[in-house]
Amino acid sequence: MQTTTPTLELRNLSTEFRIGGKWHAAIRDVSLSVDKNETLAIVGESGSGKSVTALSILRLMPQTGARHGGGEVLLEGQDVTKLSEKQMSRLRGNAMAMIFQEPMTSLNPTMGIGDQIAEAVRLHRKLSWSDARKIALDVLEEVKIPAAAKRFNDYPHQFSGGMRQRVMIAMALACKPKVLLADEPTTALDVTIQAQILTLLDDLKKAYGMSVIFITHNLGVVAQIADRVAVMYGGEVVELADVNELFAHPAHPYTEALLRVMPRVDTDAANLEPIPGSVPAITAKPAGCTFAPRCALREAICETQHPGLSTLPGGTQQVRCFVRARQAGGQA
Amino acid sequence: MSALVSTAPRTSALWLALSKNKLSWVGLGLLLLIVGTAVFAPWLAPYDPLQQNIAYRLEPPSPEFWLGTDSYGRDVLSRLIYGTRISLLVGFVAILIAMAIGSSLGVLAGYIGGLFDRVVMGLVDVLLSFPTLVLGLMIAAMLGASLENLIIAIAITEIAPFVRVARAPTIALKQRDFIEAGRALGYGPLRLMGVHIVPNMISDVVVLGSLWMASAIRTEASLSFIGLGVPPPTATWGSMIREGFENILDAWWLTVFPSLAILLTVLALNLLGDALRDAIDPKLRSE
Repeated sequence: MQTTTPTLELRNLSTEFRIGGKWHAAIRDVSLSVDKNETLAIVGESGSGKSVTALSILRLMPQTGARHGGGEVLLEGQDVTKLSEKQMSRLRGNAMAMIFQEPMTSLNPTMGIGDQIAEAVRLHRKLSWSDARKIALDVLEEVKIPAAAKRFNDYPHQFSGGMRQRVMIAMALACKPKVLLADEPTTALDVTIQAQILTLLDDLKKAYGMSVIFITHNLGVVAQIADRVAVMYGGEVVELADVNELFAHPAHPYTEALLRVMPRVDTDAANLEPIPGSVPAITAKPAGCTFAPRCALREAICETQHPGLSTLPGGTQQVRCFVRARQAGGQA
Repeated sequence: MSALVSTAPRTSALWLALSKNKLSWVGLGLLLLIVGTAVFAPWLAPYDPLQQNIAYRLEPPSPEFWLGTDSYGRDVLSRLIYGTRISLLVGFVAILIAMAIGSSLGVLAGYIGGLFDRVVMGLVDVLLSFPTLVLGLMIAAMLGASLENLIIAIAITEIAPFVRVARAPTIALKQRDFIEAGRALGYGPLRLMGVHIVPNMISDVVVLGSLWMASAIRTEASLSFIGLGVPPPTATWGSMIREGFENILDAWWLTVFPSLAILLTVLALNLLGDALRDAIDPKLRSE
């Protein structure tokens, strides 16, 4: 499919949690790739493994109770799962950066925002405080903090949620990362601010030529920002497609169900159908397809065998479903 | 949203608490007076505190010797003024050492957790199981009587409460989002602890320090009283009380004035410490 090396590629990445003395896979066999200048959205409901995927890429899972369960994370061809913790911390905030969900609590309350950004720059670029502060001010202006120079020494509590999220973005971007992981960065913000932040992220992606992994459960946000979409369910990627393809022809029954519960202006709101049941617990994954217990298309094979990802005709859409792969004539 | 409470500027809350609490001004005033006395001792003292004069032994308070003289004919007021220096020095330095060692251990234990945490907290429990004075006595007796050893002994006895007070907020802060965000920016554990955790909890430690400084001064007096403090002839409040003890029935001024000095210093530090504690306690502040 792709001739050039993607900026970030996950190959069969698994992460396991220790629960009741046994290791259970929180995410398994996640294979994704993001190119330069591309936004990949990861969608799924709570507990589907979206955030675990992002934290596993940066290797930020807690050291007790979680472990790398196999697979590779390739940053420009280099496997970061094999780096030492020291080499890894040189990448964090530098080549790979992350934005979190809660802008209200993700900043140190005892430090001015300018210095918080400058600290990261100083660490990774080995600059003096004054040079680092200059860069910090530039980024603050880039994320459109009004009167950035005047507010440089203000403390986080003097900013609104949207402004704090801009500061968080500035912190993540200060070292010009190649990969930006955004874990629901707009969930805690109200809708108008959300739109501003999304536009800002998109502009910055183009300006920096970054690869962005955007984690969200909001399909409206996906439609606005993503180039490609990975739908996750129960710790697995169940569908991978271009954004237009996904909204026009969802293949996996779970994706279909997700689209049906999304309110749209062009269809009748009375047609919203909730998905029955809930995500299986990490300790009680079904033997067959993870989605089988909630699936309307369920067949006998779904309950006994675990489906793999199969590529649909056309070559860009992948789905983890026996029924749909067969219907589309792909090889199951 | 507890985050909103803790991000409110501390300085203004501090002044609010100080201005609301009238007693805290008494404490602050007293403390300034005591510190002033220690700093300007050479100018304030009417006589040399070590100058003996057998002709004026055990003189009661008089216009010439305001607080009387001791059994060697030394001026009690001058010795009291110079003694302030020792008491404050010992209290302050010992608490600084206890604070530095104790809170570093506490932050490390809270951050690292696991076996290290359990070992440190076990040691802290052992330290806490001894009464301060008994422990100070043991250490001072082991090290021998000198100013430095006295400071070391008192510092060791007061490490334990600082470990506890530093550890608890560290455990809470460790799970805050900005620490996670710091890790995502590639910050190492030392940077996270020093730059991001310590500034968020240091006020608790400082308040505890002001309260325990009173205890350090008391311990110094007690150890000097039993002869394990600064060796004679240096004047300290504790050793003055001990020397006066022999003549307590016919020369009351020898014990009463140094005791009063200790009482007032401890009172001042406690009043101030209480006000500081109220200032940083969100439960009391919201009332």
